[in-house]
Amino acid sequence: MERDIGKPLFNLFLMITSAIAFVVASGIPDFEIVGDLSPAFFPQLLSGLIFLLALPCLVKDVNEWRMAAGARSQSAGVSRKRSIAQWLFIILLLIGYIVSFEPLGYIASTALFTFVCVVGLAFVSGVWASLSAIERGKSLIATLVFALLLTLGIFYVFTELFNIPLPT
Amino acid sequence: MSGYIDGLGMVLQWGTLLAIAGGTLLGIIMGSLPGLTSAMAIALLLPVTFGMPPVAGIGMLLGALCGAGASGSIPAILLNIPGTPSSVATTFDGFPMAQKGEAGRALGLAIVASFFGGVASMVILSLLAPPIAEFALRFGPAEYFSLSIFGLVIIASVAGKSLLKGLIAGLIGFFISTIGTDPITGVGRFTFDELSLLTGVNLLPALIGLFAISQVLKDAFEYDPYERMKESAHRIDNARPLFVETLKHWKALLIGIASGSVVGPIPGAGGSIASLVAYDQTRRFSKTPEKFGKGYAPGVVSVESANNALLGGALIPTLALGIPGEAATAVLLGGLMIQGITPGPLLFADQSGTIYGIFLAYLVANFFMLLIMCLGIKLFIRVLMVPRKQLLAAILVFCFIGVYGVDGDVFNLYLMLGFGVLGYFLNRYDFGTAPVILGLILGPIAESNLRRGLQSFEGDWTPFFTRPISVTFLVIAAGLLALTLWQNYRSKHPRAT
Amino acid sequence: MKNLLSTLTLAIGMVAGGQALANDYPNKSIEVIVPFSAGGGNDTFVRALQPLLEEQLGETLVIRNIAGGGGAVGLSRGVASAADGYTMMAASTGMLSLEAMGNVPFTHEDFDFIAKVVEEPYLLAVSSESPYQTVDSLIEAASSGSVRVGVSGIGSSAHITANAIANITSSNFNLIPYPGGSEAISAVMGGHVEAVVLGGAELRSGLEAGRLNALATTYAERSDNLPDVPTFQESGYDLTISVWRGLVGPQGLPDDVKEQWVAAIQQIVEDGSYEETANNLGTELAPLYGDELDVFIDESAAIMLEAAGDLAK
Repeated sequence: MERDIGKPLFNLFLMITSAIAFVVASGIPDFEIVGDLSPAFFPQLLSGLIFLLALPCLVKDVNEWRMAAGARSQSAGVSRKRSIAQWLFIILLLIGYIVSFEPLGYIASTALFTFVCVVGLAFVSGVWASLSAIERGKSLIATLVFALLLTLGIFYVFTELFNIPLPT
Repeated sequence: MSGYIDGLGMVLQWGTLLAIAGGTLLGIIMGSLPGLTSAMAIALLLPVTFGMPPVAGIGMLLGALCGAGASGSIPAILLNIPGTPSSVATTFDGFPMAQKGEAGRALGLAIVASFFGGVASMVILSLLAPPIAEFALRFGPAEYFSLSIFGLVIIASVAGKSLLKGLIAGLIGFFISTIGTDPITGVGRFTFDELSLLTGVNLLPALIGLFAISQVLKDAFEYDPYERMKESAHRIDNARPLFVETLKHWKALLIGIASGSVVGPIPGAGGSIASLVAYDQTRRFSKTPEKFGKGYAPGVVSVESANNALLGGALIPTLALGIPGEAATAVLLGGLMIQGITPGPLLFADQSGTIYGIFLAYLVANFFMLLIMCLGIKLFIRVLMVPRKQLLAAILVFCFIGVYGVDGDVFNLYLMLGFGVLGYFLNRYDFGTAPVILGLILGPIAESNLRRGLQSFEGDWTPFFTRPISVTFLVIAAGLLALTLWQNYRSKHPRAT
Repeated sequence: MKNLLSTLTLAIGMVAGGQALANDYPNKSIEVIVPFSAGGGNDTFVRALQPLLEEQLGETLVIRNIAGGGGAVGLSRGVASAADGYTMMAASTGMLSLEAMGNVPFTHEDFDFIAKVVEEPYLLAVSSESPYQTVDSLIEAASSGSVRVGVSGIGSSAHITANAIANITSSNFNLIPYPGGSEAISAVMGGHVEAVVLGGAELRSGLEAGRLNALATTYAERSDNLPDVPTFQESGYDLTISVWRGLVGPQGLPDDVKEQWVAAIQQIVEDGSYEETANNLGTELAPLYGDELDVFIDESAAIMLEAAGDLAK
């Protein structure tokens, strides 16, 4: 069994978040309406329940984590690092895409995103380093063509056929 | 009967048939892209229908409704991306089938099940619309509340490895649904002065985030550049409509049709949960419930038949009362009114045959849907041949444009990403994302109707337990809950025999 | 200030480009923001108008649904866009109620109103099986006990109007907010509320089918579509509110752009090409332009603000 500290930590995260939500919910102003529960009732009930139910999960997952101590091998550590890098790369790239979407317009931001996504994944995953110069050039051109085709294809379909405007 | 002959005369004209086929094709295309919905397809076609005779115009809109209803299964099966809430349940067994190399078979079943669901619901619509519509009217706050409680029991069926964690995921979804303007008093809850949150968290970015983005993040995490392509494992030869096999799963098919036709007509609640109810019931009535969620054909059949049966169901209150249940039928109602057709009991008593023309147009739309989907099935499946990196990038772009295209609000893109990260961890740590969606959909129905009921009954709780429909739902929900807990107990403590 | 600047820019443009400016517009497609999702009353109104406007203006209209915040997101985006006539908005009473409820960073002063195109009344309606078939009997019932009145959406203009009706008739209405018009209609048909206050368009099919009866209209005079429905004024209550839909741009539109739009809409109204559609949708043509329109909007905004009263925060 893989030892993953994230599992108990996520429960802890849920408990902390729900506790904060509970406190914030107490600040929701009340409006007196006959028979009605207050607007804060459900948020508090739900965050309270999440907190209470996450507690046994936390205990169970911490126990499992301690039982699985030392089960991880060294080689898993290397590929794990690469996995995390790939994961973070996609998230950061998406944030960049969202930020640049309206300022740069759809075509520029999407083409850029697609290109960087494909090339970047090759880079982060370590394939890039193993390629020869010619292979790199080929893959760059192929990716560029793919990015442009995808971007312009979607643009045409959305704006011309569906009449759904995209920022330019 | 003469009404049907008049109606047939209206439908069997080249122009009308062409309009229906065109509408169906557009519906299929838009329904298969994440984010784009049948409501948008219908809105897009609305201006086109103005100049047409009523049956042709309405037929075109019905075609879009029918096409989009069926094609939502394509991304759900191939990529684990449900484009609408009603195709969430398609991913449960459809995507595992695709992962086992059976994408073609899953699609083949889905198409035929959609067709049967659509045709059956058209028959029900034409025969029973007025009484079913009257029944739907009896749903007041108490009934809606109890219905949502009944729906929440479904969490047990869609929870992953741990019932407790599934429950937590459902509560998280429910909690997120309380964000926004309070539906009863109008005070802001967790809105933090963000205009986009005034009307609450949008379902679409949540849906795409929890399913598609989280899946992409998982793929990115597990991405191994040296892994050999798995595409060769995909069998193309079974990518064809599977009539015989679908009929073999007749029990799942019937449950799907029944759920879609019964739950579909309930305005505001039906559309999103009918397919989940179908999945849940099929699993409960199955002799092998443990096979569900791992790529089991009846799961796909019941959900997809429910998905298209609910469209006919949703048309019932729209046509019989002029009450659209959700966005797609609301736009459709606009289309009817522009054509000068007034929904209501009079429409059904009208001797001119228009209503029969509408029924038949819907039937024809189902046939076009079957035809177009059958022609396209081998094409759809090629999506899986796209190399991993490129596919990842393309999926992200489609999700992005889909979410942005609907509301044009950049805030929703951040929401989508946030839900993606949340969904990734929920999946990774055995909570599952389906319960979150269920909580998001049913939460507002439960809360607002409980409070609306208390306001209507002036603080009195008893009507929730004394009104017949309401108490029936509550009793069934309690029974199912007890059954689940008992089964759960039994599976953990097998009695020695 | 903004106004002054744009006038200045316009003046410079006129000097530099002369008549060319007027002839040039429109030379690319025009975006019309619908601040709601596809399928709402606003959306249908504009989409039905779209082909006619395109014909008149000679350019494509691109309808862009920017939903969220009950119209707040789309309208604030429209207000912030360039006042060059290439971004317009579909507006309705809803923008005034948003302003009245005090949730949004704009007021009606931030818009340039081009035209009001259609209008519909708010109707107080009951089920045809209801024991209360006149305004007076409903109000009398409300004085002896609480009467449940369904409205669509908390803080919506229907909600505000219902509140105004309750106040002006001194009735004890238990206002029950539903998420939308169709939910409220099914509640009144099913007897879960005694009455509803909703726009005429939403109620149209229920009224025509005979399932619902309208007790009173918020118009100043009886409307042609519903000649049998008395006004609140007739019943002795001084209440006049209507739902209007029209087209607006951000403040500071060039005059010639405004003129072209007004001319286009006038033409559409006069040749009758929109009339049938408008009637089928349960609305009626009630065109208003220019200064008269500005006065009307100012008055409506004041009425909404007053009607919102204790609902607003």
